[in-house]
Amino acid sequence: MNQSKTSNGLFYTWLTVLGVAILIGLFAAFKLLTQGHHLFNANDVLIWSLPLGVYIYLALASSGLTLLASIPLVFGVKRFEPFAKRLIFLAIAALLGGFISIGLELGNVLHMVYILFSPNLSSPIWWMGAIYSLELVVLIFKFQRIHVGDWNSSTSKTLGKIGFICALIAPLMIGSVFGITESRVTYFGPIMSIYCLLMAILSGSALCLFYNLVNAQITGNGVSDDNDTLFKELTRVFTGSLGAVIILTLIKMFFEGSTVIPEFLNYHKFAQIFGSIAGINTEVLLGLFLPFVLISIPGLRYNHSTRMLTSALVLVGTLAMHMEILLAGQSRPVGPKAEQFPDVISYFPSIWEWIVFMLSIAVMLFLFSLGERFLKLESTPA
Amino acid sequence: MPRYAMVIDLQRCVGCSACSISCRNENNVPDGIYWSNKITETSGTFPNVRYHYIPTLCNHCENAPCVRGCPTGAMHKLENGITMHNPKKCIGCKYCEFNCPYGVIYFNWTYPHKPWKSKEKVMEGTASPKEEVEKIGGNTIPYYNPEREDTLPGIRPKGVVEKCTFCDHRVKRGKLPRCVDACPADARVFGDMNDPNSKVRQLLGKFRPFRLREQIGTEPHVFYIRDFNPANYQPSKGGI
Repeated sequence: MNQSKTSNGLFYTWLTVLGVAILIGLFAAFKLLTQGHHLFNANDVLIWSLPLGVYIYLALASSGLTLLASIPLVFGVKRFEPFAKRLIFLAIAALLGGFISIGLELGNVLHMVYILFSPNLSSPIWWMGAIYSLELVVLIFKFQRIHVGDWNSSTSKTLGKIGFICALIAPLMIGSVFGITESRVTYFGPIMSIYCLLMAILSGSALCLFYNLVNAQITGNGVSDDNDTLFKELTRVFTGSLGAVIILTLIKMFFEGSTVIPEFLNYHKFAQIFGSIAGINTEVLLGLFLPFVLISIPGLRYNHSTRMLTSALVLVGTLAMHMEILLAGQSRPVGPKAEQFPDVISYFPSIWEWIVFMLSIAVMLFLFSLGERFLKLESTPA
Repeated sequence: MPRYAMVIDLQRCVGCSACSISCRNENNVPDGIYWSNKITETSGTFPNVRYHYIPTLCNHCENAPCVRGCPTGAMHKLENGITMHNPKKCIGCKYCEFNCPYGVIYFNWTYPHKPWKSKEKVMEGTASPKEEVEKIGGNTIPYYNPEREDTLPGIRPKGVVEKCTFCDHRVKRGKLPRCVDACPADARVFGDMNDPNSKVRQLLGKFRPFRLREQIGTEPHVFYIRDFNPANYQPSKGGI
């Protein structure tokens, strides 16, 4: 935010709003630690709920942002440098938001020390946690190097490369957490890893586009001619990743619709938790197909309002898609749990789950706001 | 080293749930959590109707997905094949529960045995649950079994998972799992798969066993034999 054009009052009011949200979130965290996770509307059938969906969403978005930042920082495409520092900072903030969400999802966060002292290398959760932790540390150091003007030293470049590798592997690990689950074939095996990687690039590019456009609006700086070329290229990345996710989603829908494996038949029955339009899941239609159609129309694709609308639709749509996949695969009890639970579990997040969601987003926005104000995120190599 | 397994004879099992009740007592299992459970199914319509009852517990799989997926090794295999859980290492990620193909792992969503902490009297002149517990030593529940503490916290805390351990604390002392001991119909037979003379090996040779969801390759070590089949054998509880 440009201090000269945005009043201090508005900025600090915004920070106060976020601060209040964070305080409410901390109260929820205290309640969860002291009273347990019965405060969530999860149970022994629907085990993972909104906080885990939010973690997946933010962690993948963070990976996507890091991959985009790697275009200038690792692959040396200099025209993308004006976005680089901001992308790294956004990736850090998004990942911290994600960590808050998963931290509050864990039953005993203090035992996390055993991730270090008693690692199980056959566990995809271990790899996911280890790689995302490494990614966070590397991104923080990389940001620090860039902040002091060191863009091209061997240390800085190495940090960039490690960050890129982490951002590439981590989404695959999130996918494998679901993909190797024998008991839940509807999570699609290895395809989930590819799906998560594509979703990371899509949500990262959507967040980058949306954030930069909103930032340009708020600061009143508008989009310069130089930056407009960058936005055009970014829009191409966004459209390409949108297309790739659509192709994979169509394959997924085709398999779901045509197989007669009992688990898939059941899954298909309950996999439209957000409703459907003409038989197609609402979130897929509004969060993938509609933005793709809009952004593909030549007269609209370079219009800032269209970019903002489509990226916003994708940001909401991808969260809904993660939730849909997460919940539909857990909607029916496994084995003897059918004795204690209904045939199908219905779910709506509890107030505490919404607060965890709010806390994660508030921390992320709080960091975005502070970074934008004080850390010169638009700077480029001297 | 033995490799323990259980054979459940569905012809002998009468569905009395003595296994489940004794398991709760032995392992101080809280409400809403079932180490020993059942799958029931009614097929057909009256009068041509049949009721199926399959007792369930942790299958102590050879290729246990819960063990493979646990990030901290809290869920682990003992040398005797028992799938064991260490709540002190458990981060409460619930991945084992998510990953278990048999639905036999549960999470402590809140403080266990909460009703026994209530200070509210059931009626005037009676003691409250909390007073009842305090009267007999104050160990959370009146029927608390301290022997469970041998290998696992007697009562597991909130925020971690729990499941059947084949009563490893009893097996360690040469006793049968409590559910096997308590079965009035001798429908549960426990023993060492590596011992060719054990009762479990004899039964698995004599009857064609099946296991739950065998096709996914987890190699469960709970086997089911017969199903109201007229074949018979000498009643036995097996041995260690």
